[in-house]
Amino acid sequence: METATAPAKITNVFTNRGTKELSLPKNERRLVMSYMYVAFISLFIGGLMGLLQVLVRSGSFELPWGINYYTILTVHGVILGLVLTSFFIIGFQNALMGKTVGYSKKQLNWAWIGFAVMTIGMISAAITVLLGKANVLYTFYAPLQAHPVFYIGITLVVVGSWINAFVNFRQFYVWKKNHPDEKSPLLAFMVVINMLMWCIATIGVASAMLAQFIPWSLGYKNTINVLLSRTLFWYFGHPLVYFWLLPAYMAWYAIIPKIIGGKIFSDTLARFSFILFLFFSIPVGLHHQLTEPGLDSTWKFIQVILTFMVVIPSLMTAFSLFATFEITGRKKGYGGLFGWLKHLPWKDVRFLAPFIGMLAFIPGGAGGIVNASYQINTLVHNTIWVTGHFHLTAATTVILTFFGIAYWLIPHLTGRKLTKSVNRLGIIQTILWTVGMLIMSTSMHIQGLIGGPRRSDYSDYGGTAQAAEWGAYQMAQAVGGTILFIAIILMVYIFIKMVFFSPKGEEEFPIAQEEDHAEFTPKWTENWKLWISITIVLILFAYTVPVMDVIQNAPPGSAPFDWPIGNS
Amino acid sequence: MTTEKKKQLESSPENEPNLKGTLISVSVVGIFILVTWFGVFMLFLSR
Repeated sequence: METATAPAKITNVFTNRGTKELSLPKNERRLVMSYMYVAFISLFIGGLMGLLQVLVRSGSFELPWGINYYTILTVHGVILGLVLTSFFIIGFQNALMGKTVGYSKKQLNWAWIGFAVMTIGMISAAITVLLGKANVLYTFYAPLQAHPVFYIGITLVVVGSWINAFVNFRQFYVWKKNHPDEKSPLLAFMVVINMLMWCIATIGVASAMLAQFIPWSLGYKNTINVLLSRTLFWYFGHPLVYFWLLPAYMAWYAIIPKIIGGKIFSDTLARFSFILFLFFSIPVGLHHQLTEPGLDSTWKFIQVILTFMVVIPSLMTAFSLFATFEITGRKKGYGGLFGWLKHLPWKDVRFLAPFIGMLAFIPGGAGGIVNASYQINTLVHNTIWVTGHFHLTAATTVILTFFGIAYWLIPHLTGRKLTKSVNRLGIIQTILWTVGMLIMSTSMHIQGLIGGPRRSDYSDYGGTAQAAEWGAYQMAQAVGGTILFIAIILMVYIFIKMVFFSPKGEEEFPIAQEEDHAEFTPKWTENWKLWISITIVLILFAYTVPVMDVIQNAPPGSAPFDWPIGNS
Repeated sequence: MTTEKKKQLESSPENEPNLKGTLISVSVVGIFILVTWFGVFMLFLSR
């Protein structure tokens, strides 16, 4: 789409607006679809494991054939938290880059190499987990020890994602070089921010793998510095959450407005909120370790404060979305204080699924603030409240938005139409997901507040009164989880239908444009050197002393534990 | 139209979109966050 350009009198702003859309050639579509296949297969396997978990924890079901509970727990976490998310995100982002800045042949070849490396890594890790050789949960906390291939596989997934990231950086760089005075397409800008954050964050997990886990699991080192490994994991683990969330935000800021027939509220606001996410997603990992002995409370407190800074771009996003809905509604003639709500396309699953995702982020975000509030964290730490929390944020906000994206992206890639019947099925799927998650997540939150533990296999804890209180909530989780699994089967059916059976046609790739008279975006938004420098300074500030402390005053190293869970 | 007048027109409140619903909506979100936080905080104090 051609966009408006005004005479360039003022030099500190970009004078172009909106995004010029490119078409996605067949080979680019094939690349993105390859990611989608992995993502939806993962959804089915991971969902099945989730169902088994809630059934076991209800106390009325035992796993057959001697299957270890911690195997299914690990499969669930790894395949949904790491595989489904990273494959969907990188596939989606590749589509966005192809649509806005395009691929050269060489870049596309490298993107395929990235996919291959990720897939090889994923399959290697999956085999060890399925064989029960890596029952270490998705956090793979030491001293639980998995088979070396598990760690090598995860490392390859990260390396593959880096290859993809550098392809994205290169695409962006080449586009900027060819359009020196133009503002970059908003979605490409957002992809670059997300991949920058990902690259910086994964340095933590990569160094833990290379310096600690792999040599330790191969037997080259007898012991491991547990505290260091956990600190490096959470240096990566928290930005991982934002790596999931930012692609959902990309859709909210720059795709949903088009679906509802509106325009982007503010290009500058969207870019600035992403820049703030880059700053404040990483130097905050210690808020996952607030009960960890061996870390100075001052640095925990500093990272708690930095964590709260993320509230700012989150609320900016909330404001921007409400404003988009209201402005669009009022333009369509809907008056009154909330009359504009009526214009929203409630019967369009491309809108409904992400919208419910947005709503889920309100309690999700509020719960996150509770989790990060130092002392209050003691109330919920390691309880199933936390599980309930990330099933709202990751498994509802993020996943429902991803489903919302899939309803137009998959048909667009396969050259088919989103039919009325698929749309209707999608709405049923969204409602099932919402009901199932409402039951499961709410009961998890309540059970957590009365002390119910997360992660652990079913136990009546010797018949204690407190454990007896948890029973009803665990049953409710089994009910919610079952509804969710039905929703997953429906989603997989919809996916298959959209890939193979829907009628041929051209489905729109909705990219929102700016208002014709929108304010120009300032050039400082693309001061990459400054944004990267601030990010690095914040990380060095927040992490140098605690990490030095953990290394210099290291606790005694731990020998591996491979039983009762681990590599047993 | 002179530049001065143009500027005045641009900054006039008539041209600003009506965002009353947005203001109330984000306020409700803010209040929800505060209520949740204080609720859990009270629980923390009571234990």
